[in-house]
Amino acid sequence: MCFSSADLLINALVAGLLLGGFYAAVTVGISVSFGILDIVNIAHPGFIIVGSYIAYIVNAQFGLDPVLVGVLALPAFYALGAITYQVYYVSFEKRGQEALRGLAFFFGLLFITEVVLILVFGVDYRYVSAPYIDKTVSLGFVQFPMRMVVPCLVSLAMLALLQLFLGRTFNGRAIMAVAQDQQALRLMAVDPIKIKRMAFALSIATCALAGACLIIIQPVEPSVGREYIGRVFAICVLGGLGSLPGTLIGAMLLGIVESFTSTCAGPSWAPAVAFGLLLLTLAVRPAGLLGR
Amino acid sequence: MRTPVFLAVALATALLVFALTRAIGNDYLFFAGYIVIQFIVLSTAWNILGGYCGYVNFGTAAFFALGAYTSVFFHKTYPLPIPVLLAVAAGVSGLVGLGTGYLTLRLRGAFFSIATLAMAVVLQTFVVNWNYVGGSRGAYVIRPNELDVFGYPIDYIQYLFLIMILLAAVALTIARAIEHSKLGYGFATIRDDELAAEASGVPTLKLKLIATTLSGALMGMAGAPFPYYIGYVEPASTFGLPYAVNSIAMPLIGGTTVWFGPLIGSILLGTLTQIATVTISSAVNLLLVGALLVGFVIVAPSGLVGLIQQFLRVASPARPDARSIGLIALAAFGFVVGVLEVVFSLAALTAPDSTELATATAGLVLAALWIVSAYGLMTVQGWSPIIATLAFALSIPIAALHIWLDRTQFNIALWGACIVIAIVAIAFLRRRRVQQLYAPRLGEQEALA
Repeated sequence: MCFSSADLLINALVAGLLLGGFYAAVTVGISVSFGILDIVNIAHPGFIIVGSYIAYIVNAQFGLDPVLVGVLALPAFYALGAITYQVYYVSFEKRGQEALRGLAFFFGLLFITEVVLILVFGVDYRYVSAPYIDKTVSLGFVQFPMRMVVPCLVSLAMLALLQLFLGRTFNGRAIMAVAQDQQALRLMAVDPIKIKRMAFALSIATCALAGACLIIIQPVEPSVGREYIGRVFAICVLGGLGSLPGTLIGAMLLGIVESFTSTCAGPSWAPAVAFGLLLLTLAVRPAGLLGR
Repeated sequence: MRTPVFLAVALATALLVFALTRAIGNDYLFFAGYIVIQFIVLSTAWNILGGYCGYVNFGTAAFFALGAYTSVFFHKTYPLPIPVLLAVAAGVSGLVGLGTGYLTLRLRGAFFSIATLAMAVVLQTFVVNWNYVGGSRGAYVIRPNELDVFGYPIDYIQYLFLIMILLAAVALTIARAIEHSKLGYGFATIRDDELAAEASGVPTLKLKLIATTLSGALMGMAGAPFPYYIGYVEPASTFGLPYAVNSIAMPLIGGTTVWFGPLIGSILLGTLTQIATVTISSAVNLLLVGALLVGFVIVAPSGLVGLIQQFLRVASPARPDARSIGLIALAAFGFVVGVLEVVFSLAALTAPDSTELATATAGLVLAALWIVSAYGLMTVQGWSPIIATLAFALSIPIAALHIWLDRTQFNIALWGACIVIAIVAIAFLRRRRVQQLYAPRLGEQEALA
């Protein structure tokens, strides 16, 4: 093993758990759109980067806290998600062409957001400033860098709220139902398209907060989103499609594995871990850990 | 046409294009043409899996880079001639395609697409960490200036161009042969309804594996000469997203169900991006590709070929007549002019001194007019002849202005031709039979829609 001492191991473990908490925020949107609605939204990381840049602009202009910006941007992202779903529904789902052309559509969207951001902001790394970013709390020999703790807490709060919404409210249960039987939903006098639109809009809304968290953790440039495509789908598949607790477990697992890889083999190997894990999961247990 | 005959015709066409390019004698043409032809190979390869089987591969760049890095590896250890490198690269990329396919093709289609994205990043990480082929610093591959072919020296770029265009001819022949074979019908059943195909005894997994291997091998072959062409490869750009986007956009814009769809798409889009890269910037050119991709999958989901096929079904169901061919020519002209207009307007907009704002905006409006009228003509919309006439009428004074501003021989010939085309087109659109086609017909409108 490459861990010379126990405190190095525990620090890597804690770092991995915090990172995993943040990954859960990035993935939860995909768990809703891909896991529940079966919409392969590979443009999701693109929306997250847009969220990061909004946090960056408002933070640089008015000095607002990035997390607060994320919360304020939620309605706008919700609307954006609703519009995107409407276009997707009318152009692809209704015509039954979501398999090939729907995928190409989202791929094009991802590409367009990246290129537009490059054209507007260039490829420089952008970052935000907040009082807690440089602080680190130490408990004994274990380090808790606040720039990891805050996103992790935000993410856990978001996950808990979403889980409550999906499990306890009428609309939330309708979202879970639409994945299983659209026809039955119609018989209950609920419009499945409306429910799907709401669910997809929610999944995009999470990007506002996830983007704000991302830019707290690391400086962001337009093509960072690509690294997250593999991560979000790896976590989503690993945890079991459409299960929020599964998403959290998958995210934590990936966070720990990546953190260990960084410590042992060097950070340049970290991107391959997620994808390797994804390929392995797909080959061995495609239903995931908590699969339906 | 039988496949051997088609192969002979394709190879002859390739040699003819090569001879013509040589006759023009401009080195830049070889550089730009190489990229366009490389995309013909890549998009045809993508289409074998994506268009015929309906499985989306996002990892074109990975297969391409595998081929390129195979060349780099052998360049460092034991330099091989390029045709041999092509064969080796085909083997490596084909094997990786087979492996990825075997791991994921038993699952739902979306998983395969995601896995190809994943594979691209895994391979990129390996190359970044592999110092022998240059790591993240990249590797230089110095190409010889000339190559001696039977005592007759040939410029190395021209040699690479020749290899690539012959490869394109072979790739197109393979795609066409598949289309009309048992294999191709098997692919089509997978695309249309995989479950039904499986139930009626089509060996779907085997067919899908054949498609992935073949498609991967062709992509690898397209990548093998690339290090010699560019002289310097590094992971970030060789594994870059533009390869994936272009090789998806080209078949989808051209048409995915026939072999000449990717060909049309890549010639059109490849040339366009070459023009846009020179006149504007490579970032705007990528934006253009993305916008065209999204626009086409929403508005014209079966591509240009699909649009024309639909039009022919309505306008002349039996066999193409003069009227429908004329209208297709008009629409094609309008579409190409419109897209070029967008490129040049954007070039004017992004110029350092934006004094040309007014001309650029006018150009964009005119471009929209062209493209909308071309689309309307092909989908038999009642309003389209009026819009098309308007676009052609507007182009006459603009062409006259161009001639007046710059009275070189070339300019007069170019814009003079535009005026002649516009007058002929307007006259053609006024003909009774054309008017009849676009006149509202009771009851038939719903049938068309």
